[in-house]
Amino acid sequence: MKDYFFQDTIGKPMDRVDGRVKVTGAAKYSAEIELPNMAHGVLVGSTIAKGRIKNIDTKAAERAPGVLAVLHYQNAPKVPGYVQAAHPTEPKPIGQPHRVFYDDKVYFNDQPIALVLADTLERAHYAAKLVKASYEEEKHTTNFAKNTDKAILPTAAKRNPRHGLNDYVRGKEDAYKNEPLKIESEYVIPSEMHNPMELQAIVAHWEADDKLTVYDKTQAVIGTQNAFAREWKIPVENVKVIATYVGGAFGNGLHTWPHETAAIIGAKKLGRPVKLMLTREQMFTMVGYRPHAWQKVGMSATPDGKITAITHEAIGQTSSYEEFTESTLQQTRMMYTSPNVTTRYRILPLDISTPIWMRGPGEATGAFALESALDEMAHVLKIDPLEFRLKNYTERDPEKNLPWSTKFLKEAMLMGAEKIGWSNRPMQPGTLRDGEWQVGYGMGVGTFGAHRGRATVKATLYPDGKVVMQCATTDIGPGTGTAMVQIAADNLGVAPEQITFELGSSLFPPSPSQGGSATVASVGSAVRAASIALKQKLASMATGNADSGFRGAKFEDLTFQNGQVSLNNSPGTKLTYSDILKQQGLPELEVTEESKPGEERQKYSLYSYSVHFAEVKVHPLTGQARVTKMVSCADAGKIVNMKTAGNQMIGGAVGGIGMALTEGAVMDVRFGRYVTKDFAEYHVPVHADTPPVDVIFVDKPDFISTPMGTKGIGEIATIGVAPAIANAIFNATGKRVRELPITPDKLI
Amino acid sequence: MAFEKDCPHALPESSDHKPPHEARRMFLKQSSILTAFALTPGVAVKAADLKFEEKVAAAFEQVKVTLEINGKKHKLSLEPRTTLLDLLRERLQLTGTKKGCDYGQCGACTVHVDGQRVNSCLTLAVMQDGKKVTTIEGLADGDNLHPMQEAFIKHDGFQCGYCTPGQIMSAVACIREGHADSDEEIREYMSGNICRCGAYPNIVNAIKEVKNGGLKV
Amino acid sequence: MNQFQYVRPTKNKAAIDTVTKDPNATFIAGGTNLLDLMKRGVVMPEKLVDINKLPLRKIEKESGAVRIGALALNGVVAEDKLVLEKHPLLAQALDAGASAQLRNMATVGGNMMQRTRCPYFYDTALPCNKREPGTGCSAIEGYNRMHAIFGFSDKCIATHPSDMGVALAALDATVLVSGPKGDRKIPFVDFHRLPGDTPQIETNLQKGELIVAVDVPENNFAKHAHYLKVRDRASYAFALVSVAAALDIENNTIKDARLAMGGVAHKPWRLTEAEKALVGKPVSEHTFRQAAEVAMRGARAFEHNQYKLKLAPNSIVQALKTAAGLA
Ligand SMILES: Cc1cc2nc3c(=O)[nH]c(=O)nc-3n(C[C@H](O)[C@H](O)[C@H](O)COP(=O)(O)OP(=O)(O)OC[C@H]3O[C@@H](n4cnc5c(N)ncnc54)[C@H](O)[C@@H]3O)c2cc1C
Ligand code: SF4
Ligand code: FES
Ligand code: FES
Repeated sequence: MKDYFFQDTIGKPMDRVDGRVKVTGAAKYSAEIELPNMAHGVLVGSTIAKGRIKNIDTKAAERAPGVLAVLHYQNAPKVPGYVQAAHPTEPKPIGQPHRVFYDDKVYFNDQPIALVLADTLERAHYAAKLVKASYEEEKHTTNFAKNTDKAILPTAAKRNPRHGLNDYVRGKEDAYKNEPLKIESEYVIPSEMHNPMELQAIVAHWEADDKLTVYDKTQAVIGTQNAFAREWKIPVENVKVIATYVGGAFGNGLHTWPHETAAIIGAKKLGRPVKLMLTREQMFTMVGYRPHAWQKVGMSATPDGKITAITHEAIGQTSSYEEFTESTLQQTRMMYTSPNVTTRYRILPLDISTPIWMRGPGEATGAFALESALDEMAHVLKIDPLEFRLKNYTERDPEKNLPWSTKFLKEAMLMGAEKIGWSNRPMQPGTLRDGEWQVGYGMGVGTFGAHRGRATVKATLYPDGKVVMQCATTDIGPGTGTAMVQIAADNLGVAPEQITFELGSSLFPPSPSQGGSATVASVGSAVRAASIALKQKLASMATGNADSGFRGAKFEDLTFQNGQVSLNNSPGTKLTYSDILKQQGLPELEVTEESKPGEERQKYSLYSYSVHFAEVKVHPLTGQARVTKMVSCADAGKIVNMKTAGNQMIGGAVGGIGMALTEGAVMDVRFGRYVTKDFAEYHVPVHADTPPVDVIFVDKPDFISTPMGTKGIGEIATIGVAPAIANAIFNATGKRVRELPITPDKLI
Repeated sequence: MAFEKDCPHALPESSDHKPPHEARRMFLKQSSILTAFALTPGVAVKAADLKFEEKVAAAFEQVKVTLEINGKKHKLSLEPRTTLLDLLRERLQLTGTKKGCDYGQCGACTVHVDGQRVNSCLTLAVMQDGKKVTTIEGLADGDNLHPMQEAFIKHDGFQCGYCTPGQIMSAVACIREGHADSDEEIREYMSGNICRCGAYPNIVNAIKEVKNGGLKV
Repeated sequence: MNQFQYVRPTKNKAAIDTVTKDPNATFIAGGTNLLDLMKRGVVMPEKLVDINKLPLRKIEKESGAVRIGALALNGVVAEDKLVLEKHPLLAQALDAGASAQLRNMATVGGNMMQRTRCPYFYDTALPCNKREPGTGCSAIEGYNRMHAIFGFSDKCIATHPSDMGVALAALDATVLVSGPKGDRKIPFVDFHRLPGDTPQIETNLQKGELIVAVDVPENNFAKHAHYLKVRDRASYAFALVSVAAALDIENNTIKDARLAMGGVAHKPWRLTEAEKALVGKPVSEHTFRQAAEVAMRGARAFEHNQYKLKLAPNSIVQALKTAAGLA
């Protein structure tokens, strides 16, 4: 760890490296790529939830001005890689997307059934309205609440008894039931939509019969490349995926979706590039969502506040053709000391499209129930909820029976409590007022695995001292490029202005998809490895040169800083990196390094932690709830960039405000069709909903997690926010709302 | 929120109103198609050959529009249904102006028309004939960023960057309108610009800095 | 959007003539509602008559009233000195609507004429009597959280989404109309219709009639007026319930009162009986609560809008309290 320099760049609130292109509008997102002779595609969705297409009438659309083709299951070029069996013979694990235009079957409402291709966007949109289908409708099941009895254990768990999705029992099963001091509550969250601001879009271009290039909105450059290579049965290297700028995703770029394949089919048919951007309505049906979930928590405790048992059950929705699962119950298994813990996770297949992880995925869902239940238990016990959590704090992972790599959650809790003014929180709900408004305080804890994957970075040093690093990761908003430049700067001893980090292309070395808060850990570690490899090469060149004063020096004897290498014990002996390259007559110096986690991950339990505090005001007559202050604290290892990381935390808090107060996609289950499907009906928080958010980082490195000491932030920024707000509302009003979102109607 | 009926609802197969292509044909008859044929026989005959009468109409449904965009005059011939947003993005490749909803519900498409902020997705380009449009591409003074752009970078008023051009155009207008006197006022008058990444507090800080800096915006 | 013909007359008469003669022609002002509906295929006019070149933008004093041109922008009206001085309630209502950008586009005439936000009306795949008469109302047994509690019919239970309209209903405004048969005035409270058997007909405007202005008469409510809008988020959302409350108070006694509600009916909902219940009473929460009870007579809710039976009276009380300076 000695060669690691925090002090220079890492930790500093450096401006984003892509700030300028973003504030000037120069950054080109997928739909903004212009190719010669490009056609526009618009998808037509089914108007039933289940059944068969009897007939598609495309005549009017085909005759409309500018229309080039109308494709559907009968006339679309076949996708060679589609699994040919009757679909679905059995539900597929997550990752098997719906096969667009494969046959006449309809699995969900607004399923793409036709693609209209035209010379202009206006014409494509208009003609799409002219496509009419008739159906043989079957009875659909889309009512979550009425079908929870049909929930099933995920196939993955059935096949493998050791799979984490199986039921979990620590101590005695359902032990809370026989305890005197207990609570038992049910919690519901509606389906929530990622709704990134950028509409999902793709430009598909067959450069040759077997060579495909897509400019695609994705968080998984390599995953997408592999998926399309499989679908089209062409070599992986023949598929190029470009995602230089991604206008937010929050998870819905972690899967390939039917519209992507539809555009590729369209481009194949026309022999020209096709651009396809979803409408906002289609963002609700075609690119995943946070699944509707029901949960039940039973909890018991001793009068002095030791949790004796927790049972946490969850049912999450999935589609009929793909089993989507997430780690909804993980926090319950490891967060508190309870000797008895039972968890049961089920999924409920419905005739609705497949969900996909949405920021803080299942953990955020689970934390809403668990952290609300904790608040309920504390209230019953008449114990301060902060104290209650501290009393049940774990110093070792009770699930895996391993030590934590690092855990500074307690510190975070105390710092946050101080900052929000926790001491103002009344023990008796509904007793604090500010004028007419009822005031309350609440907290919620979040945790998420400190994941790290395998990533490879190529680094090239040029004689002018500039460095270019490349990796097929993306930057959906957290500031990946900026953080990577900072890590490279410190590990390479080069000023950040000299470093360019290129991402978002499958031509670059592989990276995992940008999900699960693991990008800095995975790619950052590879950046560091590449930096070190470059330095080693420089060192051997310097020390191998008979004329240089470095002769015989070992790597450890050298200092790399400010673009030059010097001798530790003779700082005057130095050479710039440029000079080394020039001496060697090298036009460039290139390394490619892979980095992956090691066995440390078997010896420790690794998590990031957060704790969120909310101050809310509720109007007793109108039921309007406002978050007036938020404090979000993270124990996420070393923070690479205080500014961008702080921003991520703020964004997570805003997402949590939406989850708690405003967001929910409502489906009319008679039709299996969403009735809230735009920004006017599905309310994401706006400026006026967002108070100042104070962000606190514990900022202690975790070197078991990564060599930089980092852990992820993206998910914990949201996990625990919704219960903090719900708990604050209880504190303000005495009303416990267990079904999100907490809209005014629920508070009057 | 359960309201499932026992049997699935059958949708109306056909509707009362005329299918749109019918309507088009009617329109064609009314709009002196013969004159059209007389004027440009080539196009018309070719279209007639292909029996694509619809396409004949298309050729004559273009209107002339003059717009000054970022100081540059554009003389255009457009279908009247082209929105200002699609004109900017699809025809002029001014893709800095974003489409986030296309329904006036997000603010990503905010531009200035004669100095006022509007949602370019909900206005037709023809309706802006003769007006001056400023987009994010026209805000900076050459290489010198506008103070609001500088402030957004400094305060990290964005993450993914997709809402950012709209936020910045709106923020500039917010100050010009005199609606940036307090945090609360800024938040209210910026509420037409959604940021799903949630960079709101940083955006408010950026606006405050520009406002308090007293620079001309 | 469907293709259409576009014309931009400069004279009222030309505009009126065009729309009168052409069955599929319609006016376009700001376009913020019409284009939204056209994009989704809810309406498909074949000719758009752009009225923005007509001289209808003025805001002026006219025979004891503030006369606001039909093309005056919502944002301009909200910040107009005369309006702020004489009718702050109207300014507040306008400010509570939409966003700054939309208010820079939306006109007073267009605002009155905006269609409901009922989600079924917007979704051409689902039945809706308002969009396609005779297909049925999906909301009655469907998702009706945003829907009416007053004046609905078994054909339609939609609400009118305008905020401005609620203030205009309270303030006894009059709509000035010019049409093929000449000019006429329509009291604002009679401008919109209840759904009855013809929910597709929303106003009493005849084909070809052009709104030229709205008159808001002089009153004594400027000091005690409040527009309260309760919505699902803090801004940029349609009202669950809104209340326009205006009081003329002397010596702590209510001399005169105006009260109207939004989000509860197919039109801005004037509460004349409740106003009567306020006049002559002392300013107090008790008085307001009683008036709210009167206001709610005849209200009936559906599965998802039950909360309005409570939120509406609460909001009336809160709006009156604020207007009276009690909140
Ligand atoms: C996202 C969003 C949020 C909104 N939120 C709110 C809100 O919170 N509160 C609120 O009140 N409103 C809200 N609105 C609605 C907005 O106020 C209306 O769209 C706007 O007022 C319509 O005015 P316009 O000039 O754009 O009308 P247009 O769209 O141009 O026209 C609407 C209709 O009026 C007719 N028309 C226009 N002018 C005349 C005239 N002079 N004579 C006769 N007919 C005429 C047109 O033919 C058309 O049928 C919102 C709109 C959007 C898109
Ligand atoms: S309430 Fe009115 S607008 Fe809504 S579905 Fe019923 S008829 Fe249509
Ligand atoms: S794209 Fe215009 S407001 Fe969303
Ligand atoms: S920066 Fe991503 S939506 Fe605002």
